[in-house]
Amino acid sequence: MKEQILQTLCELRAYALSKNIEAKFFYHEEDSYLMRFANSAISLNTNEHLIRLDISVYDDRKRASYELITDLHKLEEMKQGVDIAAEMVKHAMPLNYQPTVPTFAESFADETGFDSALAEISNEERLAYFNKAVEGLETDDIKLSGIFSCGANIIAQINTRSEHTQYFKTSDAQVSIVLSHSTLKWEVIAEQSAQKKSELNPSTLHRDLSYLIERYQNDTPQQIPLGRYDIVFGPAALGDLLNIMNWIGFNGGSMKRGFSFINEDQVGTKVFSDKFNLVDDPECLSTFPFQRDFMGLPRKTFPIFDQGVFKGFTWDQDEADEFDAQPTGHTVMHNSLVLNGGDAEVATLEELVAMPRENDVLYIPFLHYMNLVNPSKGLITASSRFGALLLKKDGSVVVPYNVRVTQSLLEIFSDKVAWMSKAQTVNNTSQSYGARNPTAIVVPTFVRVNDLEISHSNSSY
Amino acid sequence: MQKQLQEQIERLKKAGATYVDARWYPVEEANYLMMWNGNLKATTSSRESGVGIRALYKGAWGFSASSDMSNVGALFDKAFDNARVAAERVTFPVRLAEKEAIQASFSSPNRIDPFAVPLADKISFLKAMDEKLDQAGVAQRVCELIFMRKQIVYIDSEGSEIEKTIIEVFPSIEVMGLDAQGEMHSRKFKPARIGDTRGWETVDMQMFTENADRIVKEMNEVRTAEDCPKDDRSVILLPGIMFLQTHETIGHALELDRILGYELGFAGGSFVTLNDFGNLQYGSSKLTARADATLPNSPGSFGYDDDGVAAQNNLLIDKGILVGAITGRQMVEEANARARRQIFNGSGGTNRATAFYRVPIERMTNINIDPGEDGSLEDIIKNTEKGIILDGDKSWSIGSNREQFHFATDIGWLVEDGRVTNVVKNSTYKGETVKFYNSLSAVGDQSTWQVRYVDNCGKGQPNQIMQLGHGVPVCRFDNVRIGE
Repeated sequence: MKEQILQTLCELRAYALSKNIEAKFFYHEEDSYLMRFANSAISLNTNEHLIRLDISVYDDRKRASYELITDLHKLEEMKQGVDIAAEMVKHAMPLNYQPTVPTFAESFADETGFDSALAEISNEERLAYFNKAVEGLETDDIKLSGIFSCGANIIAQINTRSEHTQYFKTSDAQVSIVLSHSTLKWEVIAEQSAQKKSELNPSTLHRDLSYLIERYQNDTPQQIPLGRYDIVFGPAALGDLLNIMNWIGFNGGSMKRGFSFINEDQVGTKVFSDKFNLVDDPECLSTFPFQRDFMGLPRKTFPIFDQGVFKGFTWDQDEADEFDAQPTGHTVMHNSLVLNGGDAEVATLEELVAMPRENDVLYIPFLHYMNLVNPSKGLITASSRFGALLLKKDGSVVVPYNVRVTQSLLEIFSDKVAWMSKAQTVNNTSQSYGARNPTAIVVPTFVRVNDLEISHSNSSY
Repeated sequence: MQKQLQEQIERLKKAGATYVDARWYPVEEANYLMMWNGNLKATTSSRESGVGIRALYKGAWGFSASSDMSNVGALFDKAFDNARVAAERVTFPVRLAEKEAIQASFSSPNRIDPFAVPLADKISFLKAMDEKLDQAGVAQRVCELIFMRKQIVYIDSEGSEIEKTIIEVFPSIEVMGLDAQGEMHSRKFKPARIGDTRGWETVDMQMFTENADRIVKEMNEVRTAEDCPKDDRSVILLPGIMFLQTHETIGHALELDRILGYELGFAGGSFVTLNDFGNLQYGSSKLTARADATLPNSPGSFGYDDDGVAAQNNLLIDKGILVGAITGRQMVEEANARARRQIFNGSGGTNRATAFYRVPIERMTNINIDPGEDGSLEDIIKNTEKGIILDGDKSWSIGSNREQFHFATDIGWLVEDGRVTNVVKNSTYKGETVKFYNSLSAVGDQSTWQVRYVDNCGKGQPNQIMQLGHGVPVCRFDNVRIGE
């Protein structure tokens, strides 16, 4: 298959060259499977096999692109796409900067992120995984929801500047299991991300769900008072916070356009807690990384925050071209963010609950529907969901109704960070809009931040 | 191709499937143009075709899709196989509400086919708008044109065959500028429905030119304004934010699949229960809401849904009382059975899929609020003692059961003793859904009613983006927390 894909791209390159067209070709093939559960049944069982081809054509400072969903045996259709893009670029308007066309110095192929066992996992295995993860936990009232999403992804590239190609093949799985009470409406979650089949472990999810179910079944939920709390964020909440920071924090283009809460003067200065160490690590397979970017640049570990000090913005090629900056190898579909663990010896929810505490601590595992209130201030808002707990200082545990947090990222990761767990968790942040693009962020399993405000507290679910 | 699909549908039926449908997209094309600060950053066209197969076996769904039409039989087999495995875990076997077998077609109304308009004309429009927006105080200017055309052939095992051609046009302009504190503020213009067609004629140069001046002026007023006070006030929502309030806290809350728990794994549920239909005082008696897929010229009007059910106009909230939901064939059957009473009389015709490779789910159509009897915007302002007028969707975040929300808007105008006083920046408001709608104290008349379009409503797993509409008047709500 690989040879056929690359051969097709070579033929398209030859076709473009024969017509004196400057072009680049981006091939994306996915074989996606999604088993979805709701009301303790399989509500949907799908698969999609799709091949997308993105043809970008350049004429000095002008560019245009044509995308099609196609098949490898439709070479003539793809060639027509080249012609259409070439016709479009004639009418495009010149940019006020020179766009860089990629020039691959050598061919590159990376299949280290591909595990055939995961890519070929069967319908029956997916169902068996779910059955094991929730064994004995469902009742007439407690219903199962969630997804088992998995698939294989191929990305391949060529351009008219060189005959070299780039080829990336990955496999991925995202599991999310929700157990919810059909009348009381509480809900708890356990999640897992896998890059290879051996990373799938339903027993871990069963353990987490069992603990939360025990709490939620036996405790009466409470509306907690508004005010300031010491909050422990779980991995999904942290993944979401870092994801949004990826956009309005250290992205060079966003900063230049005024959408960042960090400005150029802050490079080299302390922005966050000295416990905050964030890198983009293309060696970390759990994040489904790209070891070369789509311009052919080798990607290396890129420090973003070191002990809270901001090290620099990430730049993709187009933004770098526009703002006269140096590209940093970030012309990729996603970064590979890793927030280093700290020194707190806590790895599980049971251990977190057992930790001694001088104040009440609110545990928020998941932030629902996060949105930006004010990007210039890093101000976000979101509601807690899926298994929050109020850990009372007397050692008892209260189940709270959901609360809303409206806070600045600058405050959340400021010196108010009390500790980060040494243990880390892979939080799968994949979205299934458009082309398959598995993403994950590695985060400390728990991060405690003191003295954050709760701006709304629900009186029910 | 239709004959081949019919044959395969019959084959699966003989193999034991109780229902099969196919959605073949001979062609779906899109054209996206975006100019940012004078740079034509995106000049993109796309084209795709393929088929999606849905099969029902022993009460469970299987779905399969591909752009490769060379072996359609294998695709049907895959859908059937997926259903067979799904049938191993069934709690409430899927039943589909009765419907008529329909042979029909539908085309979106448009006078000028946007795909027949030369690219150069489209770029000229963007260039003219960009130049118009390039004024003092404007740091960023964004002009966008989005065009879509979908051809869909729907065939099912109950004798329906429907052909649709859907055309969408979404133009917009936006300006952004920094205030003295270095904070970014924006103002945008996305036209409401104009007339009964939505082709290239939607891109009306004069209308955009007038609104370009307005949004620059308003954005500059915001840049130099004081912060929105933290206060409890009446909020007067203009259509530019009322559409989103309706979308998030009436539309999504009343999707029947959410109410029945089918979205709990991701998007969330709803505070609404089956017992609430006919009983819940969702809002004040001034609130009447409907799902109207028959409204001419809106993305929420599509002729027939992807279950093959004709578009309808159904009440959701009648003078404050919850009476209906956004429904498809499967969910109404399950809801009636679970409630042990007849809440819904058949499908509401709202099941739609975003592409051939996604499965149809309950989607909003045109979720509208009926105009009221409280006069014009000026009348409502005149009768407001202490309030704030809000417009522009800046930020929105809603609780997982749609029970509470937090919105930020592009602009706010304070109202004191029936008069507009000054503009404020960083305007926000928040509330609890039922309490909020029960505080609805004024609903503007027809002069305030606009149909706003949504081009990017996300839902489902795998995620789907859908286009729809909201016809909304100016509305006033009392005792709302603002500025937090």
